[in-house]
Amino acid sequence: MNESEDDFVARRRADWDEMDQLVDGRAWHKLPGASIAHAAALYRSVAADLMRARGAGYTPELIALLDGLAARAHASLYSAPPYRLGAVADLLLREFPRTVRRYWAFMAFAIFLFVLPGLVGFVGARDSRAFALHVLPEEAISQMEESYAHDPGQGRQDGDNAFMAGFYVHNNVGIAFRCFATGILFGLGSVFFLVYNGLVIGAVGGLVYSAGHGTNLLTFAAGHSAFELTAIVISGAAGMLTGYSLVATGGLTRFGSLRRRSRQIAHLVLGAAAMLVVAAAVEGFWSPSPVAARVKLVVAGGLWLMVILYLTLAGRRGGARPA
Amino acid sequence: VHEVQGVSLDNTATVETPERIRFTHHVAGPVRRTLAYLIDLLLRGAVLLVAGLLSTGAFTQASARASWGLWLLILFVLEWGWNVGFEAFGNGRTPGKRALGLRVVRDGGYPVTFIDAVLRNLLRAADFLPAGYLIGLAVMAGDRQARRLGDLVAGTMVVIESRTAVASRIVLAPEPTAQELDLLPPRPPVTPDEVEAIELFLRRTHLSPQRRLELAEMVVPTLARRMELRPSDPLRFLGVLYRRATRTRGAAEAAPPRAP
Repeated sequence: MNESEDDFVARRRADWDEMDQLVDGRAWHKLPGASIAHAAALYRSVAADLMRARGAGYTPELIALLDGLAARAHASLYSAPPYRLGAVADLLLREFPRTVRRYWAFMAFAIFLFVLPGLVGFVGARDSRAFALHVLPEEAISQMEESYAHDPGQGRQDGDNAFMAGFYVHNNVGIAFRCFATGILFGLGSVFFLVYNGLVIGAVGGLVYSAGHGTNLLTFAAGHSAFELTAIVISGAAGMLTGYSLVATGGLTRFGSLRRRSRQIAHLVLGAAAMLVVAAAVEGFWSPSPVAARVKLVVAGGLWLMVILYLTLAGRRGGARPA
Repeated sequence: VHEVQGVSLDNTATVETPERIRFTHHVAGPVRRTLAYLIDLLLRGAVLLVAGLLSTGAFTQASARASWGLWLLILFVLEWGWNVGFEAFGNGRTPGKRALGLRVVRDGGYPVTFIDAVLRNLLRAADFLPAGYLIGLAVMAGDRQARRLGDLVAGTMVVIESRTAVASRIVLAPEPTAQELDLLPPRPPVTPDEVEAIELFLRRTHLSPQRRLELAEMVVPTLARRMELRPSDPLRFLGVLYRRATRTRGAAEAAPPRAP
């Protein structure tokens, strides 16, 4: 009955080697049916070997080997569902707008935290240059005044558009991600970034307006702002939802409570990121284009309407997928 | 329950499967993970450098600006997408983690999903604060499974994949003769634990001969005294004793000898 370790290894080794190769090979769901059944049977036999090795008191090396092998096989057998391309469409067309609506109160609060400082920044910077200097660094101010002094449709070279689009993706999506991630600090980071970004954007507007170039800024920014400002607000709301889940735990542990909502939070952030990529494309190529200001404003109105309709209506019908 | 070699409980994570089998994962600490991070950082830097060199090639002014835009896009993708992509589609391993034998797994030992990878890597922005991942390191220090904020949110941990080789078969050269075996009692007065210890020792072939002898000399007198023997070669004695004991091991376990 009591097999020596050497005999045990000699008898079972072939199966272990086979399991080892299977685990390192292709994802199991891509194997033919018979092979999957074989792999599952092999896994159970390795698991039994592990139990036997523990019970018989074989050497730690052997137990560690079987432990690692069985654990990796377990991960392969119970692996994550394969990725489907349809999931991306599902996220953008259904889950994201649904989740935005579900947490409308967070959205409303995020809008408040963003718009109010925005108004303060605008009025303050319009009326007082000293105020603007508190919010923005001086070189940024002079650069801003210069760049909006002329019509945005002129003065950019061809390559500049692509350069600026790249810059906006890098900069703005990064801002949104940080705005979300710092929400883990009980929501405080998101609150800070929402208020700060609102203040800065408002101050820029006020400054340019007081210099008499308000129309230039409006025609430039109206189009992409539909995506950009909305996405920043949604990221901030996702961050505040993160912080809220840490505080209102409903009897769970703090992170247990958070993990209950983590999928939805991820949906919000991914959706916001997609909107920011669209925003960067618009900001890089459309906003600076030499189209008449009136056309730009009409298109911007259309884009705002589109974003609002998308967030309020998309995914209202259609079956819910199991999470 | 058999403890895993010399590892204290606080850096292992035990996972129980639906089949009621327990696996022990070895949780990776900050040093290994930092090294893996640095390797990834170097690789990302190398990719950026190549992209940058291509961008500054002999282009006209306009297309050079455009290619810098592309470069910024690549910078963004590398900054936020490198880890997400490799972890989601490479079953929890970036090149740096691969080099150090690390893998990101879900708490139950399952492979990470895309959503997990997104969450744990976006939260780097929070773990990084105020500088150099200070918050992340502090949180790791306080967590039994060395998880940073991103891991806690996504429900993941980073484990070390142990790939030990099967212990080599015990070879005694030459095999003990019947005469040698008969010098010992048919049921040597050693406990199963002692037999296991001897077995472990005999498998430690990577030790130097001097060290093996030194270790054997420490333990053999105690064992030999029980059998009133004075072996001249301690190493040989342990080998013969092991063979003698394991041949009757079932009987020895049924009636463990009392220590004298």
